[in-house]
Amino acid sequence: MDIVIYGLISGSVILMASIGFSMTLKAEGFINIAHGQMLLVGAYLGLLFTSLGIPFLLALVLVVICGGVLGVFIFQAFFAPIKARGTLALLFTSVGLAYVMYGLVGMFAGKRMLAYDLPPVRAYVIDDTPIMTIYEIAIVAAAILSALGIHLFLSRTWLGKSIRAVADNIDLARIRGFDPRHSSNVVWFVASGLAALAGVFLGVLGSLHLQMGWQQSVIILAATVLGGLGSIYGVMLAAVVLGFGMEIGILFLPTSYRTAIAFAIIIVVLCLKPDGLQSLWGGAKARRF
Amino acid sequence: MEGLLLFAVSLLSLGAIYAILCLALNLEAGGAGLWDLGIVSFFGIGAYTYALLTAPAAEPHQNYLLGLGLSPVVGLAGAAVTGAITALLIGLPTLRLKREYFLITTLAFAEVLRQVFANEDWLTNGVAGIYGLEQPFRDVLTPSTLPYAFLVIILASLAIVYWLVAKVSGDGFGRALKALRENEPLAMTAGIYPFSHYLRVFMLAGALSGVAGAYYVWYNTLVVPGQFSSNVTFFVWTALIIGGLGNNRGALVGGFLFVVMHDALRFIQASSDMALFLSSLRTVMIGAALILILRFRPSGLLPERPARIAVGGR
Repeated sequence: MDIVIYGLISGSVILMASIGFSMTLKAEGFINIAHGQMLLVGAYLGLLFTSLGIPFLLALVLVVICGGVLGVFIFQAFFAPIKARGTLALLFTSVGLAYVMYGLVGMFAGKRMLAYDLPPVRAYVIDDTPIMTIYEIAIVAAAILSALGIHLFLSRTWLGKSIRAVADNIDLARIRGFDPRHSSNVVWFVASGLAALAGVFLGVLGSLHLQMGWQQSVIILAATVLGGLGSIYGVMLAAVVLGFGMEIGILFLPTSYRTAIAFAIIIVVLCLKPDGLQSLWGGAKARRF
Repeated sequence: MEGLLLFAVSLLSLGAIYAILCLALNLEAGGAGLWDLGIVSFFGIGAYTYALLTAPAAEPHQNYLLGLGLSPVVGLAGAAVTGAITALLIGLPTLRLKREYFLITTLAFAEVLRQVFANEDWLTNGVAGIYGLEQPFRDVLTPSTLPYAFLVIILASLAIVYWLVAKVSGDGFGRALKALRENEPLAMTAGIYPFSHYLRVFMLAGALSGVAGAYYVWYNTLVVPGQFSSNVTFFVWTALIIGGLGNNRGALVGGFLFVVMHDALRFIQASSDMALFLSSLRTVMIGAALILILRFRPSGLLPERPARIAVGGR
């Protein structure tokens, strides 16, 4: 039973962190290594806001907005100008950005482990078994809501359709009247905002430390690969699978191998079935890259 | 003055180690177009091999395999061999993957390896690492001349590596790699089998990185798993991009320049809080340098020189 609970919570955080990564991968066609650091920034921003006396829920909203704006800024200032240079240049620019973000947080926050000042709560109990605390329930709910929200957004709204159109074939999309610049901004806002939110949740679940960005980068990468590079629905499923997979895995292996399991999954999936889970429903047609 | 000189020697030695890594990476990434994000795997394997071969047998409070106390030359050769074997083992399943997939998989292997170094206590003494490794020639030279001797040795090795890499990239094999990089299907029609070429260059890069790893042990006199995180991979890539991807001299320049940029600040004595601040600042500077180079001079300080082919009649 514990595994189900931990897997659910773990999968929820991974889902929120990875959807954004998958979105920018699908829309822009490159791997944004700095995405993981957005979790770090989000977590520490949340700490900053709450330490200023802002109530926690409001701080959450602020973090999402700030994260989103930061994401758009980063895209416009650093990635958009060099899009023509190819994926390697974009990838290593994102590496540089990841270092800048990591360093800036380190400069201002120091290397001590920090934690959110939240009132401790007891887990809800059903039949004498503790299930989850209100925070954990909130996290799972947030993940379900974001997955649902993204799905509805992409399939029902005009903006969502324009994102999918631009990602699929930018020239045809332009002919039909979709403005790629506009849709790009929305993608980056949503992706980064969600990542920042996931970062706060990660901080709520554990403590904040400077390595959390890189640690999550690994897991995000694993989820994205497992789901299928460029498939948003694939990554949603993969996040849950990975969450459960890691919790089950550490039953058999030492706990320090937890992220190694994520990496091992990457290797196995890429060597055996590079298209990932999305091939279950016939995703992965021609990729942009 | 003495301190400053020793510091400079130390920077140069580390720069040479990075330069070897940059040359290895340039061979596979600049030459063959392999986006290898796992070069630290070979670096780490080489370092641990060297340590396990040349260290004395484990003390009771330590726990690692081997510890044969062999000579440094054997250690270096062993590091090269295990580096190449690791490249073979990693390359066999992964080299048929394309671009992003190859990149992610090599990164994954590197991270798994690092966790193995940290967790498999019986092999590597785990997170504590193996320390107190003697530098070679300790009994022959005085302690004050040791750093200089080491610098001479490693610069000589760098020269050999440079010669080797230049030769490989210059002749037929190197041209085949460039052909594969530029247009793989076309190269195949010319009879160049991608997989065997990629595997060979991958193994060579692995061997060279392993040797660099062995020298890294000389430099530090210890091995700790934390030294072999993917930071090293990203640093080597950064150094190579700044120096010039595809250009061997660029690899040299990049390696030394990077070490100077990264470690020159270390000479400043600082309180521990200030030191943390400075190290974060260093990371910001490295990131900024990478972003700026890719934006304004993407081919690096020394861009790749296009091959000049003599057309008949001259």
